[in-house]
Amino acid sequence: MERETWGKRGYFLFAALGSAIGLGNIWRFPHLAHTYGGGAFLIAWMIGLIVLGIPWLMMEFGIGRYFRSSAPGAFAGIGKRWEWLGWWPCWIAFGIITYYSVVLAWAVRYIAGSATMAWGVGKAGAEAAGGFFFGDVLHLSGGPAEIGAPVIALVICLVIVWVVTFLVTFKGTKVIGPVSQYAMIIAWAFLVVLVIRGITLPGAIDGLNYYLSTDLSQLATRGVWFAAFSQIAFTLSLGMAGMIAYGSFVTKKGDINNNAVITSLGNCATSFFAGFAVFSVVGFLMEALSVPVGEVSTSSVGLAFVSYPVAISMLPGANAFFGVIFFVALFLLGLSSLYFLTYGGVVAPLMDKFGWGRTKTTLGVCIVAFVIGILFTTPGGLYWGPDILDRAVAFYGLLITGALGSLVVGWVLPASKLREHINETSDFKVGAWFDWLLKIVVPVGLLFVVIQGGFLSDIPASYGGYPRWASNVMWWVLIGTLILSFVMQGCKTRGSD
Amino acid sequence: MESGAIITAVIMWVVFIGGLSWCFSRWKRAGGKWED
Repeated sequence: MERETWGKRGYFLFAALGSAIGLGNIWRFPHLAHTYGGGAFLIAWMIGLIVLGIPWLMMEFGIGRYFRSSAPGAFAGIGKRWEWLGWWPCWIAFGIITYYSVVLAWAVRYIAGSATMAWGVGKAGAEAAGGFFFGDVLHLSGGPAEIGAPVIALVICLVIVWVVTFLVTFKGTKVIGPVSQYAMIIAWAFLVVLVIRGITLPGAIDGLNYYLSTDLSQLATRGVWFAAFSQIAFTLSLGMAGMIAYGSFVTKKGDINNNAVITSLGNCATSFFAGFAVFSVVGFLMEALSVPVGEVSTSSVGLAFVSYPVAISMLPGANAFFGVIFFVALFLLGLSSLYFLTYGGVVAPLMDKFGWGRTKTTLGVCIVAFVIGILFTTPGGLYWGPDILDRAVAFYGLLITGALGSLVVGWVLPASKLREHINETSDFKVGAWFDWLLKIVVPVGLLFVVIQGGFLSDIPASYGGYPRWASNVMWWVLIGTLILSFVMQGCKTRGSD
Repeated sequence: MESGAIITAVIMWVVFIGGLSWCFSRWKRAGGKWED
């Protein structure tokens, strides 16, 4: 049977951009730029993009198209004994969708909450925003040992998230492509609205100065290089099998090189642009509440679900409108990443391996991920999902599989064969430097991030200040997914007789 | 806005817009269309 394709190059680009651009572009990148010296961080970040991000993305698109298969089939194509290395990122993807969907459920909850300004307006709303998130929405418990019962409102929102995800993915690229086009255009339009609103607020300029003030001396520190390379490693949604699958749907004549560069630059430009929306609001809050920048949460869930709602409460007018705009944008950006992981990282590999039909496979995956995700709607869910499990799969898993994958493609395929393939049909050619980036720079860069940012801190002292028994779950998840990857390799592939 | 922040912002936008423009011009020069 002929493999499905994107239909239009434009659909592939929007799908790839939608996959790459997600919550981290809003709540991780701007914070890092502020923390690590503005322009200094951006220099290190662009270097990381050139030597790590773009070659790695070309590799994932390239091996998908070369072997016309999702990740497990692509690595099996390199050598049957490497198939497990294609399954490991699939398990990573599956792990991520179980809690990422719950974060999107929070966004759905806040779309509804924003419409009525459920946490209040003015100073009263600003003071209530934190309590609303941690209390009313999450019912947050005291720690990972206190799990509690699922929060019904979040379960309902989670159902909505998975129904939407199923509807986008059960027809494959035929629907994913056009949906991605509309989702990205709407999300970008909403970001423009938020940036314009943000930079016209009193105090916005101070916030932007915090975002972009440059301290070049930071380039002499290891921290800024770690931060920049880690952000590049995470921002392009690599190491999760999805981009390999997306690349496998590109036609034989389709471009790989140029599409990879467009995706990378488009993703990074969106991050940079989002920083204006974030830090203009940070500056506004500093002035409105008379607090220093250190007291305004500028990253992660604190930024999206506390600081931004505080700002929305304090706006001079149209609070509900801007609240809905912000959370719809967040939802769309996250949704495109969710269905990318679901389809590219889990459904397509299962279809390729076992020959299962798309609708049944998609339904099965969505249901199983939803059921597991219910755990993360509990009062203890924030600790277990978006924190501990995220650390296991979206930090350790992604970086380790990325490094190993690059080594195997670089040295075993080898890279020169892949380069020849991608150059054949591209608008511009990459030189032999590409081989050395894949063979040495990408693996070394990723191992630097995982050792510096992970093992060196999480082994001597448990991760996140959690009790050892809780943080040790990370290692069990890693080992467990690795074992399951070998189990999948051992299963019979359809048509292998 | 501080001059350093302005310079940083301008340089980054030149890089992004210039880079993306280069990519799309290569695409067009190679005879590519959105529908390919």
